[in-house]
Amino acid sequence: MIRHRNLKIGALLFSIFVLVLGVSGCSSSTETTYHQPKTLRIATQSSTESQIMGYMLKDLIEHDTNYKVKMVNNLGSSSVSHKALQNNDADIMATSYTGTDLTGTLGMPAQKDPKKATKTVDRLLKQRYDEIRYPSYGFADTYAFMVTQANAKKYNLTTVGDLKPVASQLTAGVDSSWMNRKGDGYNDFAKVYGFKFKRVYPMQIGLVYDAAEQGKMQVILGYSTDGRIRSYNLKILKDNLHFFPPYNCSLVVRGAIIRHDPHLKKVLHRLDGKISLSTMQELNYQADDELLEPATVAHRFLVKHHYFEGGDN
Amino acid sequence: MKGLSLWQQFWYYLGHNGTYVLQQFNHHFAISVYGVLLAALVGIPLGILISRHHHLNGPIISIANIIQTIPSLAMVSMLMLVLGLGDQTVIVANFLYSLLPIIKNTAAGLDSVSPVSLDAGRGLGMTKWQLLVMVEMPLSVSVIMAGIRNALVVAIGITAIGSFVGAGGLGDIIIRGTNATNGGAIILAGALPTALMAIITDWVLGWVQHKLAPHTAKKAQ
Repeated sequence: MIRHRNLKIGALLFSIFVLVLGVSGCSSSTETTYHQPKTLRIATQSSTESQIMGYMLKDLIEHDTNYKVKMVNNLGSSSVSHKALQNNDADIMATSYTGTDLTGTLGMPAQKDPKKATKTVDRLLKQRYDEIRYPSYGFADTYAFMVTQANAKKYNLTTVGDLKPVASQLTAGVDSSWMNRKGDGYNDFAKVYGFKFKRVYPMQIGLVYDAAEQGKMQVILGYSTDGRIRSYNLKILKDNLHFFPPYNCSLVVRGAIIRHDPHLKKVLHRLDGKISLSTMQELNYQADDELLEPATVAHRFLVKHHYFEGGDN
Repeated sequence: MKGLSLWQQFWYYLGHNGTYVLQQFNHHFAISVYGVLLAALVGIPLGILISRHHHLNGPIISIANIIQTIPSLAMVSMLMLVLGLGDQTVIVANFLYSLLPIIKNTAAGLDSVSPVSLDAGRGLGMTKWQLLVMVEMPLSVSVIMAGIRNALVVAIGITAIGSFVGAGGLGDIIIRGTNATNGGAIILAGALPTALMAIITDWVLGWVQHKLAPHTAKKAQ
């Protein structure tokens, strides 16, 4: 009787085990022979920009090829996206920024020359992970100093260098992670430009734009593509000494996917160099301020520029 | 958009992204339902089993209870390590959380069938299978339904968290709202449909449950 009972419990646990295994088997197929998937998965980060680009790729792929596309949204960081690609949880990563990938994902020292940085990142991603990084979409995201139009007039500012004579009277709001960065952080900035602000407030990057708008501080350091630059009509000061390297944004795809489908490889090239900094700002603005979903913004952009009729402008 | 009040922004958002919200709504509902259906497929037979063999009651209910104590965020993250990013992770989480209410209610429903009815069935010469299908199940189906209803409402909440592992659904809209400049309206556009879905599901299944209740039980109410 007891044996019988143990057998039953054993059978039960075994069947649960098989069930869980079966379900997990569906997702992670580990065949030795390569099968081109029918569904491509695009990984995006939680930023508006990343999702807009992701949906553009989705629309293009679904229109030009027979693949279905699934979005894997809201990934925490660039490193998580790369991990997703390496674990075969995603096939394409919508936005990869040179600087973030160089120091973050690849663990290399910072590199001021954007061309060299891009080359290094492209080469190492291919070498280490068989990930192909495409040419830039055409915009670069970088830190940029900004002021309100009123302050720009008041202090007569157009470049970062113009801040030097008045910096001792001004307070600045900056990304907290920028303060202690090596290579392009505050200390190195002060050395290169030869001035420091009266006071610097490190804060979460999303808050600096509102802080400038409300006059809590005169100068802020934000991201060059943020939609709020336009909503608040902020003036970007030209980085006349080229202190902040522009970090190109491009897509990354698993090598195997495009090696087995040259047509897809071509389709993914359709956005190369097509989206300028001001276009990206405009698209981010539409999503953040005009309450449009990134999916809608992406689709409208492609329709407006005749991508679905084979055109691209 | 600054001129508009929060509610105006909310309606504006729905007006311009209505189909997107609807897509995510359907996706959200599908993920929740799949998990619960899978759990019903496994949980109802298990519930029948433990009402037949009471010594199995302890181990099975304990396992289901332990699963229930794991916080949903931890559960989703742990499953992600095994199953990767995407819908399947959240479906399995919903499946695991749904097991307990479904197993428990099935067993309780079957146990509550009065011995008189069973005797009457046996007196008619019913086999064990006939007894189960023609007497016990019809008499306990409303209790089982209550378990499924409970599970589905919980699953809708868990699916909202699933956006963190790339599963999509209305949680996506909520997260985006937290990242946008004035995201209040967007957060509402994700949160309100989620709540609405839970309330409507609860209401509809409650109605079904009531319809399925045996006549005697209804009179007693």
